[in-house]
Amino acid sequence: MTTVLQTLAALRRRPLRTFLTALGTALGIATIVALLAVAGGAQRTAGKFLNLGSSDLGVFQRDAADPTTSVLPVSLVAQLRATPGIASATPIILIVGGIKHQPAAFVFGAQQHSFVTNRYVFTAGHMFGGSHQAVVGSGLAADMHLRTGDALTVAHHRFHITGIYHMGVAQQDDGAVIPLTDAQKITGKIGEATTLAVSLNSITSRTQGVRIITRRFPGLLVIGDGVSAARAGVNGQMLAHLSLVLAVIALVIGGIGVMNTMLMAVVERRAEFALMSAVGWSGPQIATRVMIEGITTAVLGAALGLLIGILGAHLLVRLLGAQEYVAPAITAWVLGRALLVGVLLGVLGGLYPAWRAARVSPAQVLAQR
Amino acid sequence: MPGSQVLLDRVSRSHGGTQILREVSLQVAPGELVALTGPSGSGKTTLLQLIGSLDRPTTGSIYVDDIPVHSLRRPASFRRDVVGFVFQLHHLLPALTVQENVELTLVAAHVSRRERHARAQELLDEVGLRQRSHALPSDLSGGERQRVAIARALAGRPRLILADEPTGSLDSAASERIWKLLLSVRERHGTTILVASHDPNLREHSDRGLSIIDGQLSEPSLTPTADADRNRHNQEIA
Ligand SMILES: Nc1ncnc2c1ncn2[C@@H]1O[C@H](COP(=O)(O)OP(=O)(O)OP(=O)(O)O)[C@@H](O)[C@H]1O
Ligand SMILES: [Mg+2]
Repeated sequence: MTTVLQTLAALRRRPLRTFLTALGTALGIATIVALLAVAGGAQRTAGKFLNLGSSDLGVFQRDAADPTTSVLPVSLVAQLRATPGIASATPIILIVGGIKHQPAAFVFGAQQHSFVTNRYVFTAGHMFGGSHQAVVGSGLAADMHLRTGDALTVAHHRFHITGIYHMGVAQQDDGAVIPLTDAQKITGKIGEATTLAVSLNSITSRTQGVRIITRRFPGLLVIGDGVSAARAGVNGQMLAHLSLVLAVIALVIGGIGVMNTMLMAVVERRAEFALMSAVGWSGPQIATRVMIEGITTAVLGAALGLLIGILGAHLLVRLLGAQEYVAPAITAWVLGRALLVGVLLGVLGGLYPAWRAARVSPAQVLAQR
Repeated sequence: MPGSQVLLDRVSRSHGGTQILREVSLQVAPGELVALTGPSGSGKTTLLQLIGSLDRPTTGSIYVDDIPVHSLRRPASFRRDVVGFVFQLHHLLPALTVQENVELTLVAAHVSRRERHARAQELLDEVGLRQRSHALPSDLSGGERQRVAIARALAGRPRLILADEPTGSLDSAASERIWKLLLSVRERHGTTILVASHDPNLREHSDRGLSIIDGQLSEPSLTPTADADRNRHNQEIA
């Protein structure tokens, strides 16, 4: 306890160096937080491609590169409906980049009456009733100044807007829905769908549903939540892997940074450790003090890094122009992990400097002048 | 606590082929104040460091009381419990207050917080710096810093004080104060004190003077031409 208090006091009396050491850690931590948050955000948002309710599942082609490139025959709908535990199933086509100047907007092709479209809440107008009609999400409508009665062009096809809906889900509200058959023609996927949304009956849990479908249709990828949705796609997978690799790099850089700064501090203060050794501090006692100093500084740095990381995550997402897809997920788990990493950096980065400090030879150092 | 007895038997120390100390034999009785003089580079610091276990002799043996200092595997506790060092340079840790500096040895010895404070206050009182307990070393004069260093050397209640040019950078008034301090410590506690210094005032305070030239020890009262016998002579307790 005394050691910790004394260390804190000593750190306070060396504000500049403490700050610089902490900053080294902070940058490492900040990178990790930002990457974890963005990756986490991407995983979360992937689940919102489809506005799946708590008792819904999405099925995709298992070997598709990405959820958006999955292709399934609509005939599967009947087979799924006949499967025990499943209340309903409906085909959906996903069109990416179909609306000019709105690269982030998704266009869904869906049947006029389905358990998915029935959930839409209209703030103006109503659901489309036939071909070449569309309903537009409130976000997209606001962006493009669209109202009912206006025209919307999707992949060079004109649609008449019959209604504006609001779901409170970014992907949906920033998109539009057109009739399934129109979407099939636009994409050339006659008789096919990107995904089938599945609604489970009231006595079947999601886990059970996933198990039933997977067993019966081995070629299908069943998605119950955001995490597996992100894993489903190569893009999501790449993002997850990339962020892991970057986090490890950040960790190594952060660790080297902490070690370097602490090593410099130790070398610079050799005379101090020599003196401590001369007045009776044992090697382990000196090493402990250096470690405590390192960990304290690293934790301070981690706290600073959390702050920078959170700001950085938002900035990163904005710089990439990806705010439509990704809202950084700053969760307690992300922060906790970063803090843990901070302590770890302090320990790892402090070990070698501590060892060095403990081995300072008092005779050599104190004889120098 | 009585002072330590120090016994050196043919102690040599070389660094990369150069002999810095040659076959130094020496006996210091408990409570003696010995002045060590000699030109720069003659080996005074080296000798004090060997006795204080900061360095190891190349050959020969060193005993402080019955402790084989030349072969200690873990010298930290010896330095902590037996020896009090006063260095010419590098006296104090710059980031610690005066009081914390004095307590440094006691922290290593796991002395309780209350006891540490009490002892530090007492010692700072003794060296006339109680008012400056919470100052940082950078706020003190050279003489004051050296007094703090002495207070720290005394904190562990050492039986042996090794002081390497403790007045080297001080004016005569400040130096006199340091000598008085060391004398009073010896007076009250019977501590054995070895001081290396150029200060001519030291001679009049000390019981005995030794001089080192080129790594060889001699008692200046003897003629410079005295032969190897003088080492044996030195071993007699003054
Ligand atoms: N680690 C070392 N490596 C090589 N030579 C050393 C080492 N330490 C000391 N010496 C040499 O040993 C000799 C004695 O040094 P020492 O410091 O003991 O002398 P000193 O009597 O204390 O001198 P001063 O009065 O200047 O303090 C010097 O010539 C010095 O250069
Ligand atoms: Mg010297």
